[in-house]
Amino acid sequence: MKKHQLYRKLGLGAILATVVSICQVHAADLATASGTLAEVSVLAVQAKADLASAAISGDVNAIADAVKRADAVDAAVADAQAAYSALERALASGDLDAAAAAAEDLAAAKQKADDALNGAVPEPTPKSAKEVWKEGQTNTGGGPGRAYDPPNIYDVPWQTAGLRSMYSSMFSTVFTASGGSSANSNSYGDSDATPE
Amino acid sequence: MNRQSYIALMVASGLVLGGVFDSARADEATDQLAGDANESIAVAAAAVEEARAAIGNGKELVALIPADSEMMGEVKQMLVAASENWTTAVKALEGAKESASKIGTASSSEIAQDYKLLATVNAGVALSGAKVVQTGLLFIDAVANNKTESLDIIRMAMQDSLAATSQVQFNYERVKTLIAEKYSK
Repeated sequence: MKKHQLYRKLGLGAILATVVSICQVHAADLATASGTLAEVSVLAVQAKADLASAAISGDVNAIADAVKRADAVDAAVADAQAAYSALERALASGDLDAAAAAAEDLAAAKQKADDALNGAVPEPTPKSAKEVWKEGQTNTGGGPGRAYDPPNIYDVPWQTAGLRSMYSSMFSTVFTASGGSSANSNSYGDSDATPE
Repeated sequence: MNRQSYIALMVASGLVLGGVFDSARADEATDQLAGDANESIAVAAAAVEEARAAIGNGKELVALIPADSEMMGEVKQMLVAASENWTTAVKALEGAKESASKIGTASSSEIAQDYKLLATVNAGVALSGAKVVQTGLLFIDAVANNKTESLDIIRMAMQDSLAATSQVQFNYERVKTLIAEKYSK
């Protein structure tokens, strides 16, 4: 490679690196981020004022709509606060990539709050059959899981989620087959002492 | 003209033209910053005017509430909160206007950007304060006109608004501190 070509490439590389670092520093500016966080909170106040106006009008549909919007704005405020905390942590540790990502999340949360205030509230996406099944397999203690789903005493916390799920399922099958608490169990384990 | 002189002339003219274009671009950017700040201030000013009108109506509404009403204690609390937020809103609006007026005369684009940020966040403080005033006076409206079914919702909205407003003010103080730290180094 000729000398001038090498210098040209080095120069271009230096310019590119400068541009990238300037963009990151700008994105990660904490003062700007605090300003954005303030703006998101202002949107929350506006949403609550709209809710109060709807309440005094007595229009049930308007109240329901205002509640939905205010809830969506509150969710966006929570997202914004989480993104700001992530930004602070990233800047403290000097991780500019993470800081840029957190700044993007913050901007996205502000957009979400803006949209929600203007009525664009995202509808919850319906769960897939697989997700519903997965939830049904979890013992949530009174949730959608089976009522007597026993805790897996052979659970190994450091194994992968797939393995843990498989062991849990195997344990559950053995437990039920050996007379564990189950609605249709006819085994000796927990049958009633008296036939009535 | 030899080759070296020609190159020197080209570089000099490039620098002059570059400077002219840079200056024009900086003016355009400053105008854009001032425009954005003024837009935020206009929204806040409109909300402050609405709050002023609400306070005007509120005086008549308070007169409608019987002195021995069981809601009187809460009405007084709402009036105190509204009054505090009214003062904050008016001061913040003045502050926002002052910051915005300095954008055009800032000595660098970075300082102009900081003035714009201060103006925008201060306008946000004014807007949130004005909205809290309006919400507080809606509560008084509901009590005066016996719209008891809406009281719970307005009460909850007011509590949430006060919490969010304090967040806005906290963030404004943080912006001010961070900007001050930047220039004190």
